[in-house]
Amino acid sequence: MKLPSCLTVLALIIINKAGGLIYNRSFHEAGLNKLNTNDYLVLAGTFHGVHAITARLNPLKPRPGNRSSTASSSGPGGLLIRPEPPSGLEVLESENFRMQCFTTLTGVKFLLFTDPTQANVDLTMRRVYDMYTDYVMKNPFYQLEMPVRCDMFDRKLGSYIREINNR
Amino acid sequence: MVVYSFYIFDRHTECIYSKTWLPTSSDPSGGGPGTTTATAPTNTGTPHNHYNTTTALRPSTADDAKLIFGAVFSLRNMVRKLGGDDDAFVSYRTAHYKLHYYETASSLRLVMLTDTATLSMRNVLHQIYINLWVEYVVKNPLSPVEHKGGVGVRNELFELGLDQFIRGLI
Repeated sequence: MKLPSCLTVLALIIINKAGGLIYNRSFHEAGLNKLNTNDYLVLAGTFHGVHAITARLNPLKPRPGNRSSTASSSGPGGLLIRPEPPSGLEVLESENFRMQCFTTLTGVKFLLFTDPTQANVDLTMRRVYDMYTDYVMKNPFYQLEMPVRCDMFDRKLGSYIREINNR
Repeated sequence: MVVYSFYIFDRHTECIYSKTWLPTSSDPSGGGPGTTTATAPTNTGTPHNHYNTTTALRPSTADDAKLIFGAVFSLRNMVRKLGGDDDAFVSYRTAHYKLHYYETASSLRLVMLTDTATLSMRNVLHQIYINLWVEYVVKNPLSPVEHKGGVGVRNELFELGLDQFIRGLI
């Protein structure tokens, strides 16, 4: 079936900062189950909520009440120490697939589904994000927070992922 | 490898056992990692009391347990939807911690929070289920079938065995 040595990208999902699904595309027939559009929308919303919960669950983080004291404390050199920003779910592993989540500074989430054996998809993620900035954000007809319907993005993404999957 | 906390949820989605091994805050007299135990967090009668007697950074174990169950349950359903019914959610990782999940055939759910560098703890959770849960809780003649509110889970052998097992891993 699938060669274990090569990277297989199964699907890409993009969720906007409000938890709405704005892009969904699968690249591999044998990878993930096909769902109907409504299920994908529910899935995106659910993941958005879970992502917020996972950011709060950090066992080492002090409570927000205590944070005011740490935020104003000054470090060496009189610089203010800013507490580390909370980080939500980054990698999810299951028996059949692996999901990498990348959150941009503006809160857009990129979910890349790959083969479970694949360890490092940071580079692929980076490349997908580059394409998003180049062909979606620079498209004058694209409205923010709305579903991505950019022909150029579709084509470039398709050829890039096909190249990876056939390597 | 550092283990932060461990939770057991029964098939009624109730948290029947939880234990944390959180390091004490930069307390000079603290020394090593302090152990705090909070079993049956559904009994939230004295949450502040619990916080005052321990040096844990997080005060509300009960809320954490609920949040963890919510997250884990949603992710498990998501994984099964996408990966098929035979797929199983194994773990997730954030920049600060990693959560490991193991579900038995009887819908008992074991959850463990560790640091991010830890590899898969699936077999460890499986071992806890086989060697500790089945041996000391299921085979205990005095233990009820349903552990409502954590009844029958916190017995001496289980507590001791779990603590030794986890400390052996670190």
